[in-house]
Amino acid sequence: MRATFPHLLHLDIALGILYPTLGIEIVPPPPITQKTIEIGVKLAPQNACFPLKVTLGNFIEAIEKGADTIFMVGGVGPCRFGYYGQMQRLIIEDLGYKVRFVLLDHPRYGIRPFLDALRTMAGGRISLPRIIKAVRLSWGVLRFTEELEAQRRALRCQVENPQNLDQVIDQTLEALRSVASLEELEALKKRAAEEIASLPRNGRKDFLRVGIVGEVYIAQETRVNFNVERLLGDLGVYVHNSVSTVEYILHTLRPITRSKEKIEAWKLAKPYLKRFVGGEGIDSVGSAIRYAREGFDGVVHLYPFTCMPEIVAKGVLQAVSRDFDLPILHLAIDEHSGEAGLVTRVEAFVDVLERRRWERKRRLEHDGAFPWR
Amino acid sequence: MRVGIPRGLLFYRFFILWKTFLEELGVEVVASPPSNKAIIQHGLIYGVEEICFPVKVFLGHTYALLGKVDALFIPRIVSFHKREYNCPKILGLPDLVRNIFKVDNVIDDEVNMRDRGIRGWWEGFLQIGRRFTSNERKIAQALHKAEKAHQAYREKLREGYLPENLIDGRPPLSPREKKVVLLGHTYLLSDSYINMNIVRKIHDLGYSVITPDMVPETQTRKALQKLPKASFWTISNEIVGTAFTFLEEQDSKVRGFVHLVSFECGPDSLVGEVVERYIKRSNRSFPYLRLEIDEHTGEAGLVTRLEAFVDMMEWRNAHHAGYIPTSFAP
Repeated sequence: MRATFPHLLHLDIALGILYPTLGIEIVPPPPITQKTIEIGVKLAPQNACFPLKVTLGNFIEAIEKGADTIFMVGGVGPCRFGYYGQMQRLIIEDLGYKVRFVLLDHPRYGIRPFLDALRTMAGGRISLPRIIKAVRLSWGVLRFTEELEAQRRALRCQVENPQNLDQVIDQTLEALRSVASLEELEALKKRAAEEIASLPRNGRKDFLRVGIVGEVYIAQETRVNFNVERLLGDLGVYVHNSVSTVEYILHTLRPITRSKEKIEAWKLAKPYLKRFVGGEGIDSVGSAIRYAREGFDGVVHLYPFTCMPEIVAKGVLQAVSRDFDLPILHLAIDEHSGEAGLVTRVEAFVDVLERRRWERKRRLEHDGAFPWR
Repeated sequence: MRVGIPRGLLFYRFFILWKTFLEELGVEVVASPPSNKAIIQHGLIYGVEEICFPVKVFLGHTYALLGKVDALFIPRIVSFHKREYNCPKILGLPDLVRNIFKVDNVIDDEVNMRDRGIRGWWEGFLQIGRRFTSNERKIAQALHKAEKAHQAYREKLREGYLPENLIDGRPPLSPREKKVVLLGHTYLLSDSYINMNIVRKIHDLGYSVITPDMVPETQTRKALQKLPKASFWTISNEIVGTAFTFLEEQDSKVRGFVHLVSFECGPDSLVGEVVERYIKRSNRSFPYLRLEIDEHTGEAGLVTRLEAFVDMMEWRNAHHAGYIPTSFAP
């Protein structure tokens, strides 16, 4: 069995540690490129959301590299993500590829298929302690990749030379691929922290702060969203991303494992959006309010074009923007998004934020009333 | 008290139920007028740019009711089938309306049959009823009566009437021998302004339509079992089930499938593809036409495509070409 799985930022690092330990050979899909997107767009339904197309491209590229089994998860809705697996299985079947599609779905669609899929994904008969050990290590690795990315976002505007920061983080991520035990992971963590701390700073303290909210795939996958985080960082903005895979997995195993931030975000969103609308709709609203309360200068809302929960969130976020006086930039990403247009919009957005701050400094009214009015 | 029901989305499915229920509780019910240009324009102005066309139409109808009623009736119908959902846009509809129009008097109680089945249904209507009366017995009686009216309405639909015949009293079209399965959400198929009178157009071309409402639910559910996992959207499941029913039946009167979808419709973008792929897989190759409509759709383009489609159906029938295997080149 040569298994493959979809990309999601650094998920391949974590799974690359998990699966060999369980005795499953994996073929990670090649990194997402324009070609991946083109394959996905050609094969997927025209109006399907963008993550479906990209992950389908991943599968096809991995199959061509020699994968014969696909690991995918399902869902219970109402977001379209829960139906991705079925759709992709149908498309790959019709293309004539002889691959096995292992779909881990919610137990409510049958406890037998669930257990079968779980057993396949866990590599047949293997002792429980070994599985627990492997899962703990890869979970730690996944967490660490996200911490690294969070540091990259936060420090890009604060270090002297962002290239050095990128270098340190990319090297650490590469080194993570060959971690074999928790002790090694700890050592790596320590070393990375030291290296990052020793980078020369530019001493800026008055940077703008922007939060990112949105759909779990597009808001994180920098190879698809034109690396908006980096763009903002290069413009001298401190970026915080409210979306994370770790959170997403924990949230799926709700309700006991939800983090404090998430629970707070849900509570804050209640006056605007009374209930869960699938996907990350309510998290987007709640996190935007959290950012407004914490004094962030603006929020960037990233989502795939036609995403149903995020469109509901967008309608509601307009009211949030009005009530909290918080500028929000909505960026819908799909295969037709152009980089130049996106860069222009982000730059203009940062200009707006700078201007607002300047006006506030000069104690002018900043709610849209200009001094000459 | 006057309560306004916007004519959009689930209106065409539940209007009779809601109206009977509310009137039994002594509430005056006002429905917005049938769609017209001004209503659509207001919907386009107020709607989020990327939201699907039916929601924009719904917002237009809501706008038409603002100021004329004491409260808007937009219950949050999370689910009306066990283990299934409605589209997220329907789930968030009351919040969209509240935030876009800055109104508070929205009746937005949650009706959720997903986990608790019929209990969720009853509790939802109990909450709505409590806004008007404290007498639970009265609410139960009203709901009972409403459900009866609803069943009679659904029965009529199954006989071949369209919601516009029953709600607006338009005369029904005469049945034709040849039939086309017209798939799509009720809110598209029933609003003859936004679908540019497609039922009438197909009728004029010599075919009568079969909509998902005309197929009994037991039948669609049975046909759905062909899929390893049905989707989790009730209305989309009905669409797939209808398509599968006629794929299996091999009824010679049924000549083709027309799928009317709104651009941006999330569930239909996946489910439509499922239907298309299964039609291609079946041994009788039915002609299949997907028509996407939104606010920019021109009537001439729609007519041209329909006429071409009818020509194709006629040709296939005349040449006994219904069993040509279609190749699967992606």
